[in-house]
Amino acid sequence: MRREQKKQKIPGPFEINGVMLPIVSLILAIMISGIIMAVCGYNPFEAFGAIFAGAFQSKSGLAQTLTQATPLIFTGLAFTLAKKTTLINLGVEGQLLFGAMTAAILGNLDLGLPVILHLPLTLILGMAAGGIFAAFVGVLKIKFGSNEVIATIMLNEIAKLFCSYLVNGPLKAEGAVSQTEKVLPTAMLPRIIAKYQLTFAIVLAVLACVAVKFFMERTVKGYEIRCVGMGSKAAETAGIDVGKMMVTAMFISGAIAGLAGACHVTGVDRRYIEGFSPGYGFDGIAVAALAGENPVGVIFAGVIFGALRSGAMVLNRTTSIPTDFINVIQALVVILVAAPLLVKEILMAGRRKNGFFT
Amino acid sequence: MDFLHSLDSILVSTIVMSIPLVFAAVGGVFSVRSGIMALGLESMMMVGAFFGVAGSYFFHNAWIGFLCGMAGGMLIGILHGLLSVRYKVNQVISGIGLNLLALAATTLLMQLLWNNRGNSPQVASVQTTAGFLLGIPMVGPILGKLSVNAYIMALMVLVSWFALFKTRFGLRLRMVGENPKAAATMGIRVHKIKYIAVLICGMLAGFGGAFLSLNHMDMFVRDMTAGRGYIAVAVAILSRYNPAGVIVCALLFGFCDALQIYFQGGAVPTQLIQMLPYLVTLLVLTIGVKHIKAPEGVGKYDDE
Repeated sequence: MRREQKKQKIPGPFEINGVMLPIVSLILAIMISGIIMAVCGYNPFEAFGAIFAGAFQSKSGLAQTLTQATPLIFTGLAFTLAKKTTLINLGVEGQLLFGAMTAAILGNLDLGLPVILHLPLTLILGMAAGGIFAAFVGVLKIKFGSNEVIATIMLNEIAKLFCSYLVNGPLKAEGAVSQTEKVLPTAMLPRIIAKYQLTFAIVLAVLACVAVKFFMERTVKGYEIRCVGMGSKAAETAGIDVGKMMVTAMFISGAIAGLAGACHVTGVDRRYIEGFSPGYGFDGIAVAALAGENPVGVIFAGVIFGALRSGAMVLNRTTSIPTDFINVIQALVVILVAAPLLVKEILMAGRRKNGFFT
Repeated sequence: MDFLHSLDSILVSTIVMSIPLVFAAVGGVFSVRSGIMALGLESMMMVGAFFGVAGSYFFHNAWIGFLCGMAGGMLIGILHGLLSVRYKVNQVISGIGLNLLALAATTLLMQLLWNNRGNSPQVASVQTTAGFLLGIPMVGPILGKLSVNAYIMALMVLVSWFALFKTRFGLRLRMVGENPKAAATMGIRVHKIKYIAVLICGMLAGFGGAFLSLNHMDMFVRDMTAGRGYIAVAVAILSRYNPAGVIVCALLFGFCDALQIYFQGGAVPTQLIQMLPYLVTLLVLTIGVKHIKAPEGVGKYDDE
């Protein structure tokens, strides 16, 4: 009965369900960006062929794909988790920067610890920094009703400026570049293949996704978080402390973002370099959208965008197509996944009957 | 540095810095009053800033640039309107998606047009000041140093306030925002009003953005708005969705910006000073907004 009503509301030859919507959205976004490329005078088929070849065909391309995917998986997971309680954590970027800065400071402290202690300590404190930073937003939200979207954007700018101050002031290494000293060897995340930047961070990222999936589906806390997301009134009636769950989810979300930053510092750059993040935190929004907000789906979504990114870098070296069109694809995915009615209309183009603006 | 001596220059820059915020926030007021969230303001400002520079670049005239900026803002506005009215998208996500799209698209266009990822070339900008007012005693030095846009802003706020609260259109717009069903029952064309509101919002925010790139500077820089669109949303909330209130709240933020400029190069590191507007926004969000309610119909879709 209910199903029939739904069908009546949105008539069409087919239904777009859970998994299909993100995939169709991605394809549409790629097609739209292909049209943009064609308008700019590039052959989109050659370009996407080159991207695919660049991302998967060589060993270095594959390593680069996974390297690019690592932060995207982390940030996509962070965004997904906060979204489970209906919170929009736009502050992943700032939490990532704080995690990175904390790891850079800890990694430089000579505590006389062996790798087995120093590295985990560095990563965990990076996580804690990101987590506390995010939990603060949760507290503002439940105590004062602050809009978390605006609050997190403000905290992003604050984190960016504060880290910029540190890396240009008290923590600046010798030389012209704004960066900290290299972390000690005991705090370095080992690389999987010596020549490439791919580190064990990718393993941590995948493990984090699986752990979050387990946490959400097999633990009481996870169940309570999901309840809050499905309806805060009902959850409250069932005796769940909604505010506490929101802060908890924000803390975990921020901790994952902080881990992304800490992994980048201890693994890829081995130091905090100003402006190292091209906006990983915001890329996470697109990753979460493509994953359909499923923690395990985040792994695949992260690899897809990582591949597009690494392929586009290869493409950028041979042609003058800017890598920024990947960001356009990502933004389109965010919009299209949120707009099933629009996707449907594009697929059924030409069969529209009533006016456009009515 | 003699603080008193530079008081008038701080006052001038307070007003100048608050102009883009006033335009964007009044735009946001129109949007929210019609029942559509205004989180896309950032994208409207950014595209406005970009189109403004592009217009000035191709036509060698900054005023045509402003017109292009307004058109750019309206383009995003109508997109936001379509997404929220026609396609019933979650308005928070649609706003954020558009903000991401605007950042990506302007960076991409900058590379395609000028082969530079960081900033555009310098273009004709508006530096006109109302110099003829300099002669007035006491307030003359301040009034005279203001850009003519400050006077355009005052006029705009007046007209907006009048349109929203003293005309039939304004009454209908507010009714659509509060209770779309009742409005529809009375024969008001709900969707039409909403589209008009987002177009006004885009136009004003686009103008505010163009002001950033064509008056504060004479070029477009990547991520030029740097969160100002979100600050404008905060201003709109704090003003209780009233254009007259917007001026007061925006001046507060303009003052932070002005202080930040004044203190730059002093003893305190630049980056820490630059945090000021963001910290104040956060503080305002914490203590100032708990009891402010948005119109009943915001973000809802039971209007058909």
